[in-house]
Parts: sequence; structure tokens; C-alpha cells
Amino acid sequence: MAAWQFLAIHYCFRHHNPEIIFKESFDRIPDLEFNPIRSKIVRAFFDKRNLRQAPNGLADEINFEDFLTIMSYFRPIEMNMDEEQLDHFRKEKLKFLFHMYDSDNDGKISLLEYRKVVEELLSRNPHLEKESARSIADGAMMEAASICVGQMEPDQVYEGITFEDFLKMWQGIDIDTKMHVRFLNMEPIAHCH
Amino acid sequence: MQPPTGPALASAPESSAGAAPGSQLLRWQWREVQAPCLVAGWILVASLAKIVFQLSRKVTSVVPESCLLILLGLGLGGIVLAIAKRAEYQLEPSLFFLFLLPPIVLDSGYFMPSRLFFDNLGAILTYAVIGTLWNSFTTGAALWGVKQAGLMDKGVEAGLMDFLLFGSLISAVDPVAVLAVFEEVHINETLFIIVFGESLLNDAVTVVLYKVFNSFVEMGPVHVQATDYLKGVASFFVVSLGGAAVGLLFAFLLALITRFTKRVRIIEPLFVFLLAYMAYLAAEMVSLSSILAVTFCGICCKKYVEANISRKSRTTVKYTMKTLASSSETVIFMFLGISAVDTSKWAWDTALVLGTLLFILLFRAVGVILQTWVLNCFRLTPLDRIDQVVMSYGGLRGAVAFALVILLDGAKVRAKDYFVATTIVVVFFTVLVQGLTIKPLVKWLKVKRSDHHKPTLNEELHEHAFDHILAAVEDVVGHHGYRYWRDKWEQFDKRYLSQLLMRKSAYRLKDEIWDVYCKLNIRDAISFVDQGGHVLSASRLTLPSMPRRTSLSESSVTNLLRESGSGACLDLQVIDTVRSRRDKEDAVMHHMLCGSLYKPRRRYKASYSRHFISPSTQERQDKEIFQQNMKRRLETFKSTKHNVCSAKSKARLKKDGRKKQKKSVANTELPNGKPPRSVTWQQKAAAVLVAVDSDNEESDSSETEKEDDEGIIFIARAADEILQGKKASGSLDICPSPRIIPPSPTSAEKDLPWKGDRGDLAVYISSETTKIVPVDMQTAWKQSISSLESVASPPGAEPGPRAKTLAGPAPEEGLKPERQMMPEQRTCFQFPNPLLRSSRPQSDSSLERTEQPELQPLMALDEHGRMSTSAGPSNSRWLIQFNRPARFSDG
Repeated sequence: MAAWQFLAIHYCFRHHNPEIIFKESFDRIPDLEFNPIRSKIVRAFFDKRNLRQAPNGLADEINFEDFLTIMSYFRPIEMNMDEEQLDHFRKEKLKFLFHMYDSDNDGKISLLEYRKVVEELLSRNPHLEKESARSIADGAMMEAASICVGQMEPDQVYEGITFEDFLKMWQGIDIDTKMHVRFLNMEPIAHCH
Repeated sequence: MQPPTGPALASAPESSAGAAPGSQLLRWQWREVQAPCLVAGWILVASLAKIVFQLSRKVTSVVPESCLLILLGLGLGGIVLAIAKRAEYQLEPSLFFLFLLPPIVLDSGYFMPSRLFFDNLGAILTYAVIGTLWNSFTTGAALWGVKQAGLMDKGVEAGLMDFLLFGSLISAVDPVAVLAVFEEVHINETLFIIVFGESLLNDAVTVVLYKVFNSFVEMGPVHVQATDYLKGVASFFVVSLGGAAVGLLFAFLLALITRFTKRVRIIEPLFVFLLAYMAYLAAEMVSLSSILAVTFCGICCKKYVEANISRKSRTTVKYTMKTLASSSETVIFMFLGISAVDTSKWAWDTALVLGTLLFILLFRAVGVILQTWVLNCFRLTPLDRIDQVVMSYGGLRGAVAFALVILLDGAKVRAKDYFVATTIVVVFFTVLVQGLTIKPLVKWLKVKRSDHHKPTLNEELHEHAFDHILAAVEDVVGHHGYRYWRDKWEQFDKRYLSQLLMRKSAYRLKDEIWDVYCKLNIRDAISFVDQGGHVLSASRLTLPSMPRRTSLSESSVTNLLRESGSGACLDLQVIDTVRSRRDKEDAVMHHMLCGSLYKPRRRYKASYSRHFISPSTQERQDKEIFQQNMKRRLETFKSTKHNVCSAKSKARLKKDGRKKQKKSVANTELPNGKPPRSVTWQQKAAAVLVAVDSDNEESDSSETEKEDDEGIIFIARAADEILQGKKASGSLDICPSPRIIPPSPTSAEKDLPWKGDRGDLAVYISSETTKIVPVDMQTAWKQSISSLESVASPPGAEPGPRAKTLAGPAPEEGLKPERQMMPEQRTCFQFPNPLLRSSRPQSDSSLERTEQPELQPLMALDEHGRMSTSAGPSNSRWLIQFNRPARFSDG
């Protein structure tokens, strides 16, 4: 079954584009068109941080192996994982999400970046104005500040959500049950590396 | 239960006819009220019992309430039996199915976490359909085997069909019992939804099996033909899918109806109950699965109904539903206990009882393990062994089984008495023994508990991001999985269904993230108002717009945000500009006078309407609370502020021991995309002051006028002198052109003619700060302000006439004296303000005035213009800006 899935992914990959994927090939996927955060997602596929190639920058093209690397972020947990593995696993997934938010690569999700994400998330609803998105992002940021820093010193400036803060915010939320795709039983892909 | 009211009603005319023709002062009419009186009496007893149970926390923390109720029922039944010598009351199946069960099912369907339910629908359906089938057949067959082995009493005259019938009714997990027990256990959501969802959805299977086997038994096993089996299979699909379809149909109707209830708010909740009940009855009428119908009706209508009905109606629906469900549950368990006393229906057979107990436990465990094994190949999050134990142990049987067994026809099913006894024992065993032990078991096994963290905005955002990412990944790979279809469904829902079923106003603002945001804001606002009294009554006074309170109480940031907003809404920021000591003293004086002078109480028209809840009751309370709070806050604020100011001007030491902790959430949002400084917390009052100062320079005139409106006259006048000094200080470069933001809607706004048209705008959004003011809060604020005003200003100085004087396109010169006059018309405290006159900018033009007859809009336009032109960052978080431009277009 796992091998079959591997083949299926491979097939899909070839189907879109033989050997290499460029950014433009994502534009040709019709279903993706309505995704409000489409640009962010496509970007994430080419993000060198996610590809584990470089600490920053965007790749121009990805090959099948890179594609699988990205896909491996979405594999489900396995029954026989121990605590450490689970923790690592969880962090990896969160990192993917974090990188998506942190578009300027400075290790922090700044308010502006956060706002952009929220705006895009809300972009499906034409009746909600940008201002609402802003205030939501601001509210979320404040919330993050209060969760991560707690009682802030009066002079303190909350620069943005660092990855540690990000982890802190996710405490108690079961990411393992959320961020994975059903068809990706990733054993074969793990072998690829 | 008490038999229906038939006899009592029939006897009514007779008794009245039998009465003597002569008039009687009093007449004993027990027979006429007997039935409803008994019903009410039983419910009362059960409810009182609940109070008694809750008196002792120790008992209820160990023993589930359902157990206590059953025991109580046993006791009461015993008493009745001892007095009347026969069992008077018992659970009538017709009453149970028609009146007691629907509220519980509706409640569970309506409040079902739909996302979770549909995410786990596959597992739930598997357990509900296959699991129940498996349980029925294996239990029935095994019991038959025991019978064949000769272990049972000769009196148990039952064939294979009878045992299968019995198996079908005894094997279904009962929603009432499961809910009652699991609600107190708090296991994690996934596990709960699987067990509970199974108990709801297996109804279709149970109904079909029960009916099929019942008809087989009645026909006699000999006459059953192959086509009957096929019919049985077919009827399963008809019953389950038909039930669900009926539910969906009524959900659609319900949503559609609530779309048009704007003018009959008071009966909105009624529609919810009526249509849900109609769904139940309709399904029952055509012998479809009624439980499925109500469940699906509840799940599906909720989203649209909640969006359509008013907030009060929402609360009403919630409470009424909970009340009905809770009382039904109570009565059910109590009557289970009472019914058990009725020994005339009992026929004990040890082998049957023990065999049944053994088999239902055994086969459930086996079934769960087998199914989970299969499911885990497909599930994303596998169910581990502990989950399986809880699931198999949590299969409680309850009143449904009991009602079904009572319904059996004793003439056809000859072993009915044995079955009744066995069912009672099984129900008691599962509810009492398993219900009692499941809590320790869950603790002992360390089952993942549900964590009751408050929903956070971030979580909601991330979850949405997840949904989109996963849908995108499925798109990219070209795999059309669950996420793909959900994404498609959401798009469809958004485009067509929601548009059809939701009010325009609701549809427009319908977004889950936005909803969560509003909810959090409202929650914080409510908690803030709730605790407002405490904070202020304590002598440790706090600044309303300062987050210091966060140290005192729950330090939610939204709370903080809202607080700063509330300050702004009261135009408190204007007070910042007060600088000199003299002003301070004046202000103290003003507030002293204000506080101790005679305050005419508002009079309210006594109005009564059956169809509309008059706003006076609740809102008046709000108003008074606000009035009190805000007044105190004003005083506090003012004094603290002064201290800051004096410290700032180096004239004063810190006189007061009060901490001047000020965290100002400098809002660093830059309209033109300049790099934001994120969320800044600054202590320096300077920046804030400067910001306000320069603001004041620009918006001086309008602000003063606004204050006039509110009777807080003393404030803004002194601003300018400091302004000059401050301007030189160079700190202006922090905030080169702070924006004038009109404070919250004041009472003046309420009189504006175009104000009324904006009812559809649900929230005012402050574009500058990170805060919204939900409409309810906003009206409350407005009211508080207007009540403040009414305290401060004499009736002569109503805003109405003034508005008129300002309304025309009067020349600039004519207007200014007019405005300056206004303070003098007031009887309340005022300040001489020469500075004001000299430095008032001439920014307002007559054109603006024609557009907005009131004072407030002057600023609005001003602000509007600046919005478009100036790129200046505004750091002054004092200034909350409401969506003025939007209002413009409306006007």
C-alpha cells in the first residue's frame, strides 16, 4: 500500500510536470485557484528553509525529491514513535507553518507579516474589509504577546512571534491530529532521503 | 410515567355536571388537574432531587447523577409500592419516545461540535452500523446457543428470532446514558464524539432491526421468506437515509424561516423547537429514524440559525434546550428506577441475565477491537488500546432499550417478562456499575482528557491556515480526499447556501475567524463590565485605559485592548491634554460637584408589550452600571493623569503612591506600509501626551464641542500652551502627524438622522487600534455617555437645538461664537479658556458642516481627508477611530 501511494504521488508529480516543477506549474492547477492563501502555499514549496537546503531564499525550481521533502511535512504520526520523535515531528510541522508566516526570513513573525496572512485568509469574504483583518491580526498578535511574554514590562516592545513563542502558542493544541494528509503514508518517501 | 390525560379530561364534564346546581364557594377539582399536576409534580421532585445531589460535592464527584437518580427512582418506587400496594407509575414507551427523548436528541444534535463530528464521521458510522449489527447478531445468537444448551429455564419460550429481537434492542448503545455519564468524565473530544456519535446514529440500525425481527416474530419464523430478509436490508437504507433526509429538509426550512424573523424576534426560539420537533414527528410518522432526523436537523441548521437570530434569542434557545434536555434526562432516569420496582412484569432467569451481561460486554469489546483494527488502517490518528478500552466499556445501555422492551407484544413474544427483567438488570448494571467505575478507570488508564482552554484567536487562524494548506496539498498532488471535498463544500456553502439561508447582514459578516474575534471581544467586554465594579470599589484605583488592571485580574490582551478602547469611547483621551495644576484642581472640583449635585433620575416610560421585549429593563441596568462605573473611572483617570502630567512638567514630585504604570499599546500600524514597530508598550507618558497634543491642535474645535456635549467641559482647552512647548521638544518625530481620531460615538451621534440607517453594520471597526467595539457594547457606551450627559447638563442644553443652529452652512465667523457660547449655556462646571479661542484652527469649512449637521462629523471629514492624504503614522493609541469613512458613504 505504501509503495502504491509512493507511485501515486510520483505519478501525480510527473503528471504535472516531468522532472522539475517551476512556480508557474502551480498556477496551472485549477483547484488551487480558489485557495485564499495560495501564494503563500506555493511559496512554501520553493522555500529553501522547507527544502532544507539553505537558511533562506527561494528555489527557482524543485525536483521530485524536493517535492517529497515538502510532502513529508504532512505525514501522519505513527504508532511506534517515542516521545522524542514525536516532539521532533511536531516541531518540523510547526516549522513549516512558521516559515509560511515568516516571509522575510528573520525568524520572527512580525505584525505586518501576520496581517498579511490574515488578510489573505479572509480574502474569500469580500464583505469583510481590510480593516477587520487588520484588527484581527492585531488582536491575535496581542494575544500572542500575552501568551508568550506574559506580563510585559512597560517599555518592552514585542517585536514579533519567534519560533519559540510559536511553539508556546501551540502548546496544548493537538497539531498531530491536524496537519497531515491522509494519503501520505510516508515510509517510502523517508527512504528517499 | 403517568398515563396520558385521557381519563382525567373525560371525567371533567361529568364531574361538573354532577355538581349541585347551587353555587359553591370552592370545589375540589383534583380529577381535572390530576394528569398535568402529576407530571409537574414528578418533574419538580426530580429537579429538587438534583439540587439535593449537588449539595454534596463529594458524592457527585464520585457518583454520576444518573446513578443517583436511578437510585432515587428505586426508592420512590418502593414508597409508592408500599403505599398503593401496586406499582403506579412507570416509563411509558409512548411518552418516552414522543416527549422525553426528542429534547435530549435535539440538544445533543444542536450542540454537537459539527466539525469534529464530520471529521470523524467515518469511524462513527462504522461503529454505529457495523458495530450495532455485530452486537445484535452475536448477542442474540449466543443467547440462543445458551438456550439450546439447556442452561435456561423452561419458562423462557423463545426461538432464534426472539433472541435476535432481544439482541437488537439490548445491543444499542443509549445516547441518554452515554451523554449523562460521559459528560462528567471529560475524556478527550475525539473519543467522546465517537462514542456519543455512535449512540446517536445507531438508532437507525436499532429501529430497523427491532422492527424487522418484531415482524418476523409476529409472522412466525416459518413464514419468513427470502424477500423479507431483502426487505429488511432495504429498509435499513430507507430508514436511515430517509431519517437523515427529513432532518435536512427541516433544517433547511428552519434556516429559511429564521431568515425572516427580524420583526418577530420574540418567537424566534420557538421556531427552532417547533421545526425540530416537527422533524422528529414527521420521521416517526413515516417510521423513519426519528433520532437521526432530529440529530441532522440540529447539526445542519445550527450555523444558519445562529447567524440569523438575535443574540438574546440565541441565549434563549441555548438555555431552553438545555433545560428541556436536562429535565427529560432527569425524569427518564428517575422513572427507570421507579419502573424497576414493578415486579409484576418481572420474570427472572439467572442464566439469561448473566448470559446477556456477559455477552454484551464481551461482544462489544470484540467488536470494538476488530473495527478499530480495520479503521486504524485508514484513520489519520489511530485509536490506541486505551481508547478501545474506554470505547468498549463506555457502551452503556439505557432507557431506549427499556422502552423498546416494554413495547413488545406479550402475546407474540412469550418470553417478554424475562426480557424485561433482563433489560432492567442490564440497564442498571451498565448505568450503575459501569457509570460508577468509568471515571476511576479513565483516570487509571490516563486517558487523554479534554483540555478546556479558551479558544484563542491564534488557534483559529492557524486552523484555518491548516485547512487551506491541506486542501492545497491535496490539490497539488491531485488527490481528491476529505479535505478537498470539504473545501469544495465550504465554497459551495459560502456561495449559495449561506446566501440563501442567511440574512444579508449576517451573511456579510459571516466568517469564522471574524466570529471568534467578535466572541472574544464580547467575552472580554462582558467580563470587564462584570468586574468593573470590583476594581473600582476597591480603593486601588486604576486607569481605565491603562492595562494595569491586567495584573489584578485575568490579563487577556483583548481585555486590555478593549479597555483602552473604552477609555477612548468616553473621550477620555481628551483629558490627557489637561496640564496645569489649576486645571487639575478645577477638574477635581468639577467632579466633586458633579458627583454630589442633584442628579435627576431618568424616568422610563412604563411600557408593556407581549411581542417585544422592551429595552428598558436590561439596558437600563447596563446604563446605570455604566454610568456609575464611568463616572468613577473618569474621576480616577483624571486624577492619575494629572499626576503624570505634573511629573512630566517637572513641577511636581510624585505625590501619590499610586503607580503610574502606563502601558500604552502604541499602535504602530502604518497605513502606507511603513515598517511597523509591532506592538509597543511604552511607559513614557511623553509620547502619548505629545501625540494628543498635536492632535489637539488640529482637532481642537471639534473636540471641545464634543466635550460640551458631554458635559466634561473642562478638559481640552488647556492643551495648546503645552503644545507649543512639546512640539519643540522633538519627540514629535516619533509621531509626526498623529491622526485625529474622533472619539467614540457620542450622544450627539445618536441624534444624527443617518445614524438609524446603519443598523445593519454589526460592528464598528476601529481601523487604527486593534480593537472593535461590538454593537451592543457600543450602544451601551453611548447610553452611558448620554446618561452622563443627562446628569451633567440641564434639560435646556439639549443637543437638538444646537444641532439645528450648527446645521446650516453658516459662515465661519458666525459659527465660532456660537460654539464658544455653548459652554456658557451649561449649568455645569466650565473653564475659562482663552487659549482655545486664540489657537483654534480654521480647518473646518462650511461645506463640512452642511454635510454633517452635528459636531462630530466635522472631525470625521477632517479625518477622512487625512486618511487619504497624510501618510503619517499615528502612534496615539488613545485615539480610537471608528469607521468614519464608511459612515460617510452611508450618509
